[in-house]
Amino acid sequence: MALPATPDAVSSFEALYRSCGADVYAYVASLLRDRAAAEDVTAQAFERALRKRRSFDRARGSERAWLFGIARNAALDELRRRSRTASLLTDPPDEAVAADDPDADRRATVRAALASLEPRDRDLVALKFHAGLSNAEIAKVLGVSESATAMRLHRAVTKLREACHAS
Amino acid sequence: MRPDPAILADLDELDRALAGEPSPWNDLVTEVRAERQRMDPAFAARLEAMVDEARVAPRRPRWLVWSPAAGVAAAVIVAVVLVQQGGQTPQLQKPPTSTPAAAQGGSAKSVPAPTDQAAPERSLATPGAVAPAQARKIERTTSLALSTARGDVQDVADNVVTTTQRFGGIVDSSQMSTSDTEASATFALRIPTARLDEAVAALSKLAHVSSLSQGSTDITGSFVSVEARLRDARAERRALLKALAKATTTTEIDAIKLRLRDNRSQIALLKGELNALRRRANLARVDVTIAGNGHASSGGGTWTPGDAARDALRVLEVAAGVILIGLAASVPLAIVLAGAGLGARTTRRRRREAALRV
Repeated sequence: MALPATPDAVSSFEALYRSCGADVYAYVASLLRDRAAAEDVTAQAFERALRKRRSFDRARGSERAWLFGIARNAALDELRRRSRTASLLTDPPDEAVAADDPDADRRATVRAALASLEPRDRDLVALKFHAGLSNAEIAKVLGVSESATAMRLHRAVTKLREACHAS
Repeated sequence: MRPDPAILADLDELDRALAGEPSPWNDLVTEVRAERQRMDPAFAARLEAMVDEARVAPRRPRWLVWSPAAGVAAAVIVAVVLVQQGGQTPQLQKPPTSTPAAAQGGSAKSVPAPTDQAAPERSLATPGAVAPAQARKIERTTSLALSTARGDVQDVADNVVTTTQRFGGIVDSSQMSTSDTEASATFALRIPTARLDEAVAALSKLAHVSSLSQGSTDITGSFVSVEARLRDARAERRALLKALAKATTTTEIDAIKLRLRDNRSQIALLKGELNALRRRANLARVDVTIAGNGHASSGGGTWTPGDAARDALRVLEVAAGVILIGLAASVPLAIVLAGAGLGARTTRRRRREAALRV
């Protein structure tokens, strides 16, 4: 694995990892819906980010948006690979936990609503709710304009809300 | 296109909910966030170890690893170029060019440099018809091509004349031409054979020697033949004079006088031939051409600091030319590569996005 050249770059990367590590995993996991694959892709994303550390340009967006862009590409590569080799696998719901949870019905409803979303909408929801990115950062990650991001995001969360209410 | 204000207001409410402030979106945010996957502690530890590894073992950038090798390669290239430039000194550049085939009874020999010339006798083929006691008559020829800066041709030409005179030679003919782009001069010199080597060495120091060829022809046979014919003609003359003294009739006297006239003409002709042969043996022919091309320097006997400076300038000119040609060739290539890179990037992006349409 190629590593950054200067101690400053390493410590800055370490700070980025501390602030975004859990969010990156959550985002990738919601996109892939597979824990094992999400772990692999998260590790891969950080490895890529570490290797490409020098290519980061602050003028082109925040470090956080840059990292999530890398994670998203890695996740999409994984999705493409899986689509070529096998059907999409998802983690089965934890039935034991569900039985003891008083809000299990509600959670199942939300989970079903999320699953019913188109992958592109689920991607937006994950970037907003799990990764906690601003609309501008999401626009950078997706490579589209901020206004287009706003409209697509609004459409996705509206669909999610409707799906939750419909269930 | 700017989104509908209602949409923006809705999204602002969503942002407030995500920030933990009261909002109509609070419930949805809470419920969706409850679905958020958390890292397995073992995986978190593995990821942390990876980041720690980066802190402990920073690697030298690749260009630093390769820089010593690149430096050595650059030094070798510069050394090779300099050696090649330095190698253009007159002594090293003199090609040992052979003269055309020697005339009958003679021989030609290529000579690498004036100082290395063999004595003419050593290069001769022995004509069988010549008596051993006869001193050999050798005609020597030299062809010398000099090159210098265009502006220096006149000076070099003047020096050729001065040098020729210094060695007791004469300028048979000379021609000089100049134009806006080039200048040249040609000389046909006659230099005493005894001082030929010395003179050629001096002429070679006047400018950069582009080529030098020397040859020798044994003309002893011709010389001996003409000498014998002259002897015979003189003997005939003596006999005719004796016969004339004894002649008694007018017819006899007239006939002898006619033969004497013919004999006199023959003797004069043979004397002329003999003198020409002597001249050919005593005065070597040296053809000098001076080309002014703006590249070579004058006074090229040794590699002076001036020559070094000129060579260095030449190296820089060549290097700049190579860079310019490289740039000219690389610009279209770069455009093509950039286009290909952009196309590949767009295609990759589309394929990735297609994964979300599954």
